[in-house]
Amino acid sequence: MEEPRYYDIRHTAGTSTHIDIDNGVVESAGTSFFDTAILRVLGSHGWGIVTIDNYSAKSRKEKDEYISQALRHAMVTVEDVALGDARSGILPMPAMKEDPASVPLEEKCSLLSGIESQARKVDGIVSTRAGYSEGSGTVSFENSSGAEFSYAICRSGYSISAVAGRNGVMQAARESEHTISGLNLRHKEDMGAKAAERAVALLDASPAKGGKMNAVLDQQLAGVFAHEAIGHASEGDLVKEGISVIKGMIGECIGSPNLTVVDDPTLHEFGFMPVDSEGVLPVRSEIIKEGVLSAYLHNRQTLAVVGDGDAGHARGQAGEVPLVRMSNTFIESGDSSYDEIISECRNGILLKGSRGGQVDPGRGVFQFNAEYGYVIENGELSKMVRDVSLSGDILKTMHNIALCGNDKKMTPGYCGKGGQSVPVTDGSPHILLKDAVVGGCGE
Amino acid sequence: MNEDKIRGLSELIIKAGNKCADEVEIFLAGGSGVVTQLKGDLIGEAGGSESFGIGIRLIKDGKIGSSTTGNPERWQECLAAAEASAKLATGQKWEGLPSPVPLSDIDLDIFDSSLKPDISAASSLIEEMKEGASEFDVNIAGGGSSFGTGYSVIVNSEGVFYSREKSRVSVSLEAISGTSTGYEFDSACFNDRIDAKETGKQAAFLAAHSVDAEEIESGQYDVIFSPIAFSQILGSVLLPSFSGRNVHSNRSFLAGKMGEQVFDECLCIYDDPTDGQGSTLLDAEGVPTRRIDFVEEGVLKSFAYDLKTAYRYGEESTGSAKRGGAGGLPSIGMHNLHVDGKRSNVFDEKALYVQDVVGAHTANAITGDFSLELSNTSWMESGEYGSAVRSAMVSGNFFEMMKDIAGLSESSREIGSSKIPSVRFNGIQIIGK
Repeated sequence: MEEPRYYDIRHTAGTSTHIDIDNGVVESAGTSFFDTAILRVLGSHGWGIVTIDNYSAKSRKEKDEYISQALRHAMVTVEDVALGDARSGILPMPAMKEDPASVPLEEKCSLLSGIESQARKVDGIVSTRAGYSEGSGTVSFENSSGAEFSYAICRSGYSISAVAGRNGVMQAARESEHTISGLNLRHKEDMGAKAAERAVALLDASPAKGGKMNAVLDQQLAGVFAHEAIGHASEGDLVKEGISVIKGMIGECIGSPNLTVVDDPTLHEFGFMPVDSEGVLPVRSEIIKEGVLSAYLHNRQTLAVVGDGDAGHARGQAGEVPLVRMSNTFIESGDSSYDEIISECRNGILLKGSRGGQVDPGRGVFQFNAEYGYVIENGELSKMVRDVSLSGDILKTMHNIALCGNDKKMTPGYCGKGGQSVPVTDGSPHILLKDAVVGGCGE
Repeated sequence: MNEDKIRGLSELIIKAGNKCADEVEIFLAGGSGVVTQLKGDLIGEAGGSESFGIGIRLIKDGKIGSSTTGNPERWQECLAAAEASAKLATGQKWEGLPSPVPLSDIDLDIFDSSLKPDISAASSLIEEMKEGASEFDVNIAGGGSSFGTGYSVIVNSEGVFYSREKSRVSVSLEAISGTSTGYEFDSACFNDRIDAKETGKQAAFLAAHSVDAEEIESGQYDVIFSPIAFSQILGSVLLPSFSGRNVHSNRSFLAGKMGEQVFDECLCIYDDPTDGQGSTLLDAEGVPTRRIDFVEEGVLKSFAYDLKTAYRYGEESTGSAKRGGAGGLPSIGMHNLHVDGKRSNVFDEKALYVQDVVGAHTANAITGDFSLELSNTSWMESGEYGSAVRSAMVSGNFFEMMKDIAGLSESSREIGSSKIPSVRFNGIQIIGK
């Protein structure tokens, strides 16, 4: 049997806790257990992989058998994989203010219930639902080069959604917050009220009118733009496989000179990781600097093939193969004030909040939905609108960023790719987009 | 884990669970599989996995507690967590877990005993797809193939013991030409029911055909949604509104409309639990499944219930409990969704044929409003592809649109456990560039 050229094992074990409160009823609340590992082996060509449940219980002998099994799988691969050099290492974990795992489930349940009941108190609300999730565990990494790391992390957060109804018309709004810095359920009752009040306000909003217009994106939606439209296209695996519109464009001016986009896994935000899923020390990568494409995000393999950027962006869900992923992605603040941006927009639309987005990085097309917005007339906000989306061509849109605000804000969430979901933070100041394609079904 | 071991383990758990709860339910699932991943046009990753999990639910005084674990040795810890969980849940009206009933011996047609998770068979599927794709001048950007077999078992303290074996083979391919992309996929329970070559050919065709795409002016157009595009919007917007839980929690557009003509009379929507890749005789709570006609000729006839929701609101479970795996709690879902009704030739008259949409999950499930980017859209007339459209958005209100359907295509496509036709709507709003 041939020897592996390289192997690594990433083992994740811990507990996940959830609470689901639906219209005042605790539907379910409880704790479950996970313990899974992913083993990757480099055969003479490509990767052989084995996923192992209950890894803690496995003997050294069994682990060696898994390595042989992965090597056998690798025999059908034909891609010649080489790994780029990258500095291995681990950053210290930031301290938590209050470890969620140390707070009794009963207390967390009652705190969440407090948020949910505030939403139900608002006049016009017909349905409320609150959720809490907490994943607490240890990630251990070892590879055949002798690198070995282990860290404990707890990610937790809540969401509250409220539905308002009147004369057969319904509207919904949602608030959520996720963090790595400890329990975030205390003194959050206002968030329940905030979601509920917005749902009620949306009852009186009209559907947005679609078309080409100037658009101001709030910090959350512009953060989604940074993530969907720019971040994904800069992922080294997409560049390597030829499905990114910004492949081969390093050094070129691909956006407005006031646009700088960064992915920084070292920030103590929700997308923070002390070490990446290949044992590489995470680094800040400036994807676009003042409009010029300066780096791709990489794992060791895509770094070796594509170059131009940094490894340290490999991330995998527990028990899953690491992929090139974003962590904390944001557009840097510019120097315009919010008032200047609205005024400069003249006639157009302010898009606020996000119901998510999607991108086809090969075609260079993105789509995302705002939760609500306001029509801008003569440089001032007028009526509220709902169900408004934005789509466009990535390259064209980046040149159309006319102004960047000075009010950057980060919003935590989750990002899906290849069937895996990982925690991320997106951020941005308010930005002004000229000639944006806005979707809506209003007249 | 073999059946004797599963029976032994579940007896232990039920015995211990009976001491601290009124009723006990155990869901076990396991399986093994192999997968290959194309990186560009070369297989870069090949892997195998073995999975196992146990989910325990306890019911005490109408309070339902649950926990899951992947480690059979640690079932006691899992049981204790389920007991703690039951203490926190709000109590509700509960009339008991189901008892065993005689089951039909119908062949569910979801297990291919000849299918073995074999890595070289998975890599031959890749070759077949590549051969299909070679008919067009495109590059292969990615894709994959997988083989898997698995089992799930539902056991409860009332005596239910139901196990089900299932196999699955799947392929997908992504092709690109310039900045024109095309994606296709297929899955089946049986190895000989998948056409990898055709999947590859279609992905390549889509990428090649959209190369010379043209812009489109904003306006009202006749639009045909492919089964894929239609199922994406359907899944995000309509399916959640059939859930009894959403209906009674005021989160469903269809609440209070039972018996009304809610959609076009050409439309029928039903769940047939014995016709499709999701077939099962008992649902994930051990309740016998049955055909559920949600919409008959446009009239709303039924909602879907699991036990908890049914007991709470004085309804009957429709056998609609589903689990994502052993790690998931039961929730209301579809076994085999069918969209059916009066069929016609929808492709004759000129229309925009939408292969796929980008961002269906951003649609508003409560109101039905959506505005989505189109993918691989072409003019189509007399069943022939015409020129492709570069980029555009489609927007509207899905519930309104469904009141006036211009036709369902004569054939349906199997997408996972669903069977869906192409659906034509006339006068839909398109936002061009």
